[in-house]
Amino acid sequence: MSVERAGETVPETVVEEIRELPKRFQPGSRSAVMPALDLVQEELGYLTPAAMSQVAEALEIDPGYVEGVASFYSLFHLEPVGKHHFYVCNNLSCQLRGAEEILTHLKDAIGVGEYGEISQDGLFSCEPVECLGACEYAPVLRYHHRFHYDLTDAAVDKLIAAARGKRRDGKD
Amino acid sequence: MAKTELRGSHGPAPDHVLTRWIGIENLARIGVYEKQGGYRSWKKAMTELEPAELTNEVKISGLRGRGGAGFPTGIKWGFLPPPDGGPRFVVVNADESEPGTAKDRYLMENNPHQLVEGILIACRAVSAQQAWIYIRGEYDLQHLAVQAAIDEARAAGYIGEKPYGVDFPVDIQLFRGHGAYICGEETALLESLEGKRAQPRSRPPFPAVKGAWGRPTLLNNVETLSTLPWIIEKGGAEYAKFGTEKSHGTRLFTVSGDVRKPGNYEMELGRPFRDLIEGMAGGARPGRKIKAWWPGGSSAPVLTGDLLDTPSDLEALAAAGSMGGSGGVIVADDTRCVVRMAYRLVQFYARESCGKCTPCRVGGNWAVRTYERVLSGHGTADDLALFDRVQSGLAAGRCLCGLGDAAGWVIQWTMARFREEYEEHCLRNECSVEGGGRAQPLPSTAASGDLPPPEGRKLAHA
Amino acid sequence: MPDAVVEKDPNSATLTIDGVAVTVPKGTLIVEAAKQVGIEIPVFCYHHKLDPVGACRLCLVEISPGPPRAQTACTTPVADGMTVKVTSAMAVKARADILEFELVNHPLDCPVCDKGGECPLQDFTYRHGYPVSRVLDARLHFAKPLPISPTIALDRERCVLCYRCTRYYDEIAWEQELTVAQRGVESFIATQFDEPLQSVFSGNIIDLCPVGALTSRVWRFQSRPWDMRHTASVCSKCSVGCNVNLWERRGELMRVTSRENDEIDDGWICDRGRFDYADVNDERRLSTPLVKGVGTSWERAIRALGDGIKGRGSKLGISLPQDLSNEEAFLFKRLLDGPLSGARVKMHGRTALPPPAGEQLRIADLDQLKAIVVVASDLREDTPVVNLRVKKAVRRGARLITVNPSEIDLDRHAGVLHVRAEAGKAAAALGKLHGHEALAAGPVGILYGDGRGAETDLAGAVAELAEATGARVMPLYRATNERGLMAIGVAAWEESLEGVEALLSWGPPPAAGVPRTASFHGAWDYLPRPAHEGADVVLAGTSFAEQLGSYANLEGRVQFLRPALDVEPPRRHGWEVLSELAAYLGLPFSYAGVGAIQRELAAAHPELAAVAAPPAPEPPPQPVLLGAARP
Repeated sequence: MSVERAGETVPETVVEEIRELPKRFQPGSRSAVMPALDLVQEELGYLTPAAMSQVAEALEIDPGYVEGVASFYSLFHLEPVGKHHFYVCNNLSCQLRGAEEILTHLKDAIGVGEYGEISQDGLFSCEPVECLGACEYAPVLRYHHRFHYDLTDAAVDKLIAAARGKRRDGKD
Repeated sequence: MAKTELRGSHGPAPDHVLTRWIGIENLARIGVYEKQGGYRSWKKAMTELEPAELTNEVKISGLRGRGGAGFPTGIKWGFLPPPDGGPRFVVVNADESEPGTAKDRYLMENNPHQLVEGILIACRAVSAQQAWIYIRGEYDLQHLAVQAAIDEARAAGYIGEKPYGVDFPVDIQLFRGHGAYICGEETALLESLEGKRAQPRSRPPFPAVKGAWGRPTLLNNVETLSTLPWIIEKGGAEYAKFGTEKSHGTRLFTVSGDVRKPGNYEMELGRPFRDLIEGMAGGARPGRKIKAWWPGGSSAPVLTGDLLDTPSDLEALAAAGSMGGSGGVIVADDTRCVVRMAYRLVQFYARESCGKCTPCRVGGNWAVRTYERVLSGHGTADDLALFDRVQSGLAAGRCLCGLGDAAGWVIQWTMARFREEYEEHCLRNECSVEGGGRAQPLPSTAASGDLPPPEGRKLAHA
Repeated sequence: MPDAVVEKDPNSATLTIDGVAVTVPKGTLIVEAAKQVGIEIPVFCYHHKLDPVGACRLCLVEISPGPPRAQTACTTPVADGMTVKVTSAMAVKARADILEFELVNHPLDCPVCDKGGECPLQDFTYRHGYPVSRVLDARLHFAKPLPISPTIALDRERCVLCYRCTRYYDEIAWEQELTVAQRGVESFIATQFDEPLQSVFSGNIIDLCPVGALTSRVWRFQSRPWDMRHTASVCSKCSVGCNVNLWERRGELMRVTSRENDEIDDGWICDRGRFDYADVNDERRLSTPLVKGVGTSWERAIRALGDGIKGRGSKLGISLPQDLSNEEAFLFKRLLDGPLSGARVKMHGRTALPPPAGEQLRIADLDQLKAIVVVASDLREDTPVVNLRVKKAVRRGARLITVNPSEIDLDRHAGVLHVRAEAGKAAAALGKLHGHEALAAGPVGILYGDGRGAETDLAGAVAELAEATGARVMPLYRATNERGLMAIGVAAWEESLEGVEALLSWGPPPAAGVPRTASFHGAWDYLPRPAHEGADVVLAGTSFAEQLGSYANLEGRVQFLRPALDVEPPRRHGWEVLSELAAYLGLPFSYAGVGAIQRELAAAHPELAAVAAPPAPEPPPQPVLLGAARP
């Protein structure tokens, strides 16, 4: 019972990888869903209904289940994000050291009015996140799987400038 | 990429149990780690001691869980039933997400082998042959560091079918979290590990009996496990020489916020917080006084600035009306509006609430909306009563897990200890803290006073 | 000399709840123990057929010995000597607090909400909650109502996130098309990718929902619960015979809900039984008999019918519906032994299974099995609620082997062993299961269908496997009263009625159409059908909602239908019509009522002896309302 669902799909090689995941876990469990969604998001940047259906089919579970799990966790994006997405901590320790100002500056610098919005050129988006666990370096952001510490407006500008030449996975 | 400057305890010192080797170049390489003496405890655990003796040493040491609950580790190890031939697990809580807490990250990135060794020792003690490290998804570098350490240990034969020739196959795997504070709660972590939405379970049954995938499971925090190599090397009695009668040992505190030298500092339990906050972290910013501080992450009830001499052991903290929690010390000085800080924290709990139980799910959000109303200058006496009403609705077993309790405590204790600020906000719609000492109408336009946006995330549906 | 010690049943525990002592089996949850002494502990997330979760926190009570915090009564089993306080100040306040939280975002929809009048949230708030709201802000809003299927509407604002619906889907139905999206206060119930629900078991979530979040679109805005009269009856859509309540208002059938019978349905019904009743109220329903399309009197119509079918011998075909009652079937038998002797009879929806032999499995027995073999049937299609019962057994640890040419619904479970046998080859596949380790460890059950006619020699292979494994068997008859008609002897396995010259169709016309050779067609039906276009006689019949009689379900259990609606003149009961017809054909019946038929039936067919003793109608259940002071 194959239903056509919206959005990009991942290539067969990724589906193959997903099929191998359940072997790491207890038989009959659904643990493979999380790493499977991770593989999809690495590939597409976010989780499309079509790709979540691929995950469901590869793991032999219902797509509704996959969707329900995906929507629970903050790091899973169910809407597209910019090629370069900034996660800026604004929990208390970072807030005390200027996280709000960093966020305001960042939104301005990338040209968006709201969190989650993608800049006109499709390159950037940002969102505030909760404590990243690097409080001694506050304010902190996470970007392309790396933390950036002791942020200043200038440091943020530098990241943005450097990003304009990068691929989605953050490499040059 | 420039090497990150170490901010915290490192190098040899009498009370550097966890951090004695941090700072040594390439400590993450197994060769360097072993040169200091690493993996000798694992060898001892496998070749010289019985599993029951391992547990006994840990009991003698008095080590208590460093994740937040402070439960005696040795006793926890004893809760698993005898092996029945089926799988048993050690699950490592590396989900560190408590605001103000960065110690597990510090340990994982600087001394990953120490954690691996500690995990192996725990596995041996409870006869678990598979360990799962549940590491928060944001810790990408740390994930790589620990994975590399596991790979090296496997290559050396310390992880595998027969470590040191003993027939005890053992393996460690990593599982990545994806952004949910609630996964720091043991049973929610297990749900997540099982591939579900991470909502805590009703207890009993406890994880020791029915944990990961229905099997007996031991859950321990990164710091707790990282302490084990030292304890096995020197003996539990040596560890027990540190600290107080009921809180043995040392602990790795993260100090952050309005201090001159934020960092991860190891300190013997029982020493006053002043030694930590002023001694090691440099104290308040120039010209400022410490007004409010959270001794154990934001979930520990806030304390006032005149209580810095409180000893750091768990009993003294309880007596002072707070708790040890995660050891994440957040410091705020007298330029900070307590009501605004409380708002940010309650908003955190509301956003991270899993939604399973009514009081936390609804109460957190109700409190957030009340704070927004008050901070925008529309508070009234009704709101003072409302804060109290929400807080009491979250107390005393109403909620399924500690997240709801913590949200309630933020409201309860900021109100109890900084009542004048709440009254000023609600009854007079003013804030003198952000007015630099002069009562200023809300909403304020102070530099750091911008309200965090009420909705940081876009709803995907509806 | 030691004092005499009172022998205590080691399997029971005695505790006091608000000072009242109660003794219950060990393992009983406190909420259930409280019900036994009429003490109400309000619950939302707890449901006795779902795993307890302790999510809503409404059932907080004080327990000693125990921790100082309040505990949820729905997750805590009783212990001997336990003291539970439900009406202590702390517990009363806890309940009121939780209810207040539930109402923070709940809209004041009562005047327009279909749940009003049978709504636990209303009832609990009235009995246990604060009388005044303290909410000063706007409530959380969602687009509403959301049709999540043609028959169910979702209102996310009313939802209290008790998760009963998603847990039901996960634990009972094993489907994931209904899920929770997002986290915390932003959570809401959603269907997968916003697509409509497909499951035949979806309707149960309406009964489960403790508020008006999930409501029936078929019954929307039609009446208030207190305006309806409900009658305990039995579903007539398939052979399982789930127990239902039929709700009537002003002569119309308003809705069908489940009526829990743990022997059969465990409290669930499928969507066919729940939503397929609109035609009962159809204004086009026949009421006057028709001869050649013209309304006439019953006398004329029956005469015309009798003239058309008498003396035809085997040139007469009789088509019987799957839900023919035992009583009417008995009258048909008498006719077939008499004036209609030789007629060919075809029963709708019959399986190709022979009558049952040997000891059979009853549905409730499935719960105790350690291994189940399902052959030649997709239970979800054939006997839906038995499908759920098998899932229940598997959740409790039973092994499951399915033998079918293609995938069936039960195959979705991770541990199921599927054996793919080509259509017609199931017997051989069963032969290979002898000695299988899965069948070695305890009570085994074999459920077997007919592969929709493809398997005709299965019974023997099943019996052999049963003997080898000590299993009991359950033949999966599909037609509603197949067992009854088989016992009475009017369910001969006729392939088709081609070649008959006269057709008497009782109930819906034959699926294969009126045979072309039939020059006479007499029908008894409750709705006009296209097949009646050329019919000679059409008698105005009754629907299941007016039926008085009995069925035997696939277990052979006799159950009684009770009419929710009166038979409106000029319509007549089926048995009355058959009596008149018989009289015209020269075989007068003299039954004063259905009871008389039942007694004679029971005497003639010992298998259906229970037909003679219909139970007295059950009194309406007493609501468990006592207790709880207002805060």
